[in-house]
Amino acid sequence: MPLRRRIFLTVALFGAVAVAALVLAPMVGSAPISLRRVFDRSIPFTDNPDAQIFFISRLPRTLAAALVGAALAASGVVFQALLRNPLATPFTLGVSSGAALGAMLAITFPVSLAFAGVSTVPIASFAGALGAVAIVYFLSTVRRHGLSTTVLLLAGITLNAFFSSLILFVQYLADFSQTMRTVRWLMGDLDVGSYAPILAALPFLLAGFAVFAWLPRALNLLTLGADAASARGVDVVRTQRLAFFSASLATGAAVSLGGPVGFIGIIVPHLVRLLVGADHRLVLPASALFGAAFLIGCDVAARTLIAPMVLPVGILTAMIGGPFFLWLLIRRG
Amino acid sequence: MRSLVQLATAAALIAAVACARPEASGSRPGAQPGAPQRIISIVPAVTEMLFAIGAGPQVVAVSSFDTWPADALKLPKVGALLDPDIEQVIRLRPDLVIVYGAESELRAKLGRAGIKTYPYVMGGLANLTKTMRDLGRQVGRAAEAEAAAAAIDARFDAIRRRVAGRPKPRTLLVFGREPGSLRAIDASGGVGFLSDIVELAGGENVFGAVKRESVRVGTEEILAARPQIVIDLHYGRDLAPDQIDRERDAWKSLGSLPAVREGKIAILVGNQFVVPGPRLVDAAEAIADVVHPQWRSGR
Amino acid sequence: MLQAADVTFAYGPGKAGLHGVSVDVPGGSLVGILGPNGSGKTTLLRLLGGMLTPASGRITIDGRDVSRVPRRQLARQIAVVAQETRLAFEYSVLEVVLMGRYPHLGAFELESQDDVVIAREALAATGTLNLEDRLFPTLSGGEKQRVVIASALAQAADLMLLDEPTAALDPGYQIEIATLLRRLNAERGVTMAVATHDLNFAASICDRLVLLRAGHVLAAGPTADVLTRETVRALYDVDADVRFHEDAGHLTVVPLRRTRREA
Repeated sequence: MPLRRRIFLTVALFGAVAVAALVLAPMVGSAPISLRRVFDRSIPFTDNPDAQIFFISRLPRTLAAALVGAALAASGVVFQALLRNPLATPFTLGVSSGAALGAMLAITFPVSLAFAGVSTVPIASFAGALGAVAIVYFLSTVRRHGLSTTVLLLAGITLNAFFSSLILFVQYLADFSQTMRTVRWLMGDLDVGSYAPILAALPFLLAGFAVFAWLPRALNLLTLGADAASARGVDVVRTQRLAFFSASLATGAAVSLGGPVGFIGIIVPHLVRLLVGADHRLVLPASALFGAAFLIGCDVAARTLIAPMVLPVGILTAMIGGPFFLWLLIRRG
Repeated sequence: MRSLVQLATAAALIAAVACARPEASGSRPGAQPGAPQRIISIVPAVTEMLFAIGAGPQVVAVSSFDTWPADALKLPKVGALLDPDIEQVIRLRPDLVIVYGAESELRAKLGRAGIKTYPYVMGGLANLTKTMRDLGRQVGRAAEAEAAAAAIDARFDAIRRRVAGRPKPRTLLVFGREPGSLRAIDASGGVGFLSDIVELAGGENVFGAVKRESVRVGTEEILAARPQIVIDLHYGRDLAPDQIDRERDAWKSLGSLPAVREGKIAILVGNQFVVPGPRLVDAAEAIADVVHPQWRSGR
Repeated sequence: MLQAADVTFAYGPGKAGLHGVSVDVPGGSLVGILGPNGSGKTTLLRLLGGMLTPASGRITIDGRDVSRVPRRQLARQIAVVAQETRLAFEYSVLEVVLMGRYPHLGAFELESQDDVVIAREALAATGTLNLEDRLFPTLSGGEKQRVVIASALAQAADLMLLDEPTAALDPGYQIEIATLLRRLNAERGVTMAVATHDLNFAASICDRLVLLRAGHVLAAGPTADVLTRETVRALYDVDADVRFHEDAGHLTVVPLRRTRREA
């Protein structure tokens, strides 16, 4: 089948799944609501709990889940291509530990960074993420021209270790409830409660996605090796920089929106490759769409399984991710 | 650096006590002979209880998270639940150490050093005066403890009596959330002293059916619960009036809540609401003021 | 066609590199770049392919400075076969070969049927058409190398640079690759420069040789002139017997003993 048709079919199929998830998810939840009442214009909004549940609770968190899932899955694909390693995740290079440090500092110390309807913790975690990205990039380019992926990996691992120790130190200064709240944040939470945090994260996510649209062919070549890619016309350094920054930006925005939700950045690319092959022109869009649907599904489970309590969505992704990897390991072995 | 300060503090303390030695134990005013004179309390709630029953002079060190009373803050600090400074505890030569009941390892260590421990187990509201009385016996202040406990019991009873028979408004009690937004909301479930206070104050805890102390809920669950009263606890630091307004405004986005429509969102500040010590009765009265504003003028 | 003129390059201060190296790869020739490990063969190849920029001197293709040619255009003129190709993901053989067509595609253009036809032709030329749908990582060493050569062929470039194409292969595959390269050069007119430390392999296919030692050109010219007992000794510190082998049809080199290094 010619590539054009395969791309079209893949995007259509995964797109349908994502759209279905987007439409169905706001219809389910821990509280029974009537869709008729939700869309009944004659009832004023503040008198309509069903509509408030739909438009304030469910719809924003479904949209957030879609964006975070798409961003983490797509970033996972890009990082795996950049580092030429299918085990890389969006968190391998330190973005999420920077975000975690930012969030923890905001939770532990009383400082207000609220801006444009977005509260302090998301802004602090985004700042932490950007800081981590800057440090990793600086470390990996300080010795030679160009971006060595080995040095990048080492810088990321080093930063993860360093930030983790800082987090432990802050934890030492924090009291019990602050520590508990930070641990909860680390497990992910998509209850944004309004559209403001989504709108705030959107420009960064869109910027990341825009670059993702341009990357797939270059990423294919990059997996052959830097020299082989260069010999086939790819500007390797530029591609690596674009891949690194776009994926880091998307990851940073996603983590500040919903916390560092694990496993999506590695399960989804793997699953998608099993279904569509290795060509990034299929894998990247399919992963973004599937990641959105997947996280929407996990979020629905998180908010209905032990109602009225809400499970952190990261627990769900971990419960699915763990057995998935076991299966992968057995299958390969 | 920290250990240097600890060392200096311990040295100064030992020197001071050594100089005071001749007065010997058991001669502090009020305490019965043979009662512990060098009490260390790692549990903030119990520290407050000790001072409330008059055993303040017998306390020589407190936890790092103690905030009340002012006298307690002047005492040396020996860490807290997660990292008590065992060396310093031993150096201070206590004759009674108050620990959390779950800290079995710590108790064993102190036991090996020949130090007596008192295990504190947090329970519901009824546990407060019961513990105070028990503590009174342990530290030779039985009479004062009885008086203090009885006074607190009387105040609790007063609330209970005066709200009896009134309709119970659906009450949401939130004790933790992200400042300025409605994310990461921790609400009180049907277990624990906060839930007991809501019930005592004549309210119906909207998440009372959940048999847990703390319930993480989302905006959907709150909208579905339709609370008529929202009590939003803030502690750890003082809030300026404009900050209190901002926190109250955070609830405005859930416009369909009866509590929002009727303006019954209470931002209560102070850690007397979260430390299960003698100030809990002040907390209970403050919460009763929100749930049944007319209760004080009742029977 | 491809020339290096007095090129100097070093990876870093104090590191070994190339000094004043001049190489000529005439159109239609099959040039071997011979030398021990560390002599700069791979570096020279990367310079010739435009992946590195010389500190001084020029690399020109058909007279044009390689560093001035846009990357994609250069990829249509020069194809490079690296020493080892380790794919991070499981691409099919056809996908790998189609990657050679990328230099011919516009920014968001997809491969057309024509591109697929060219890719299949390249596979056929290297005898690997039957492997088209196999996953690349599942191939044997010799098969992988032939597919990579096919990928380079699909680039439809006039020039091919190969870095140690037989280094990891056993004798059977070595002969296969040697035969393939000779055929591509003779029948399709692909100009080639092959970096190798394998003297016999170079002798079997190359019509010209460049001998590199410690970043300098020891000798360059037609194989028969350049490959002698003396040059082998100077290059490898090995006393070897160099003679024409009737059965093989080319010069062969048999190492006999190590000689002492001259200061």
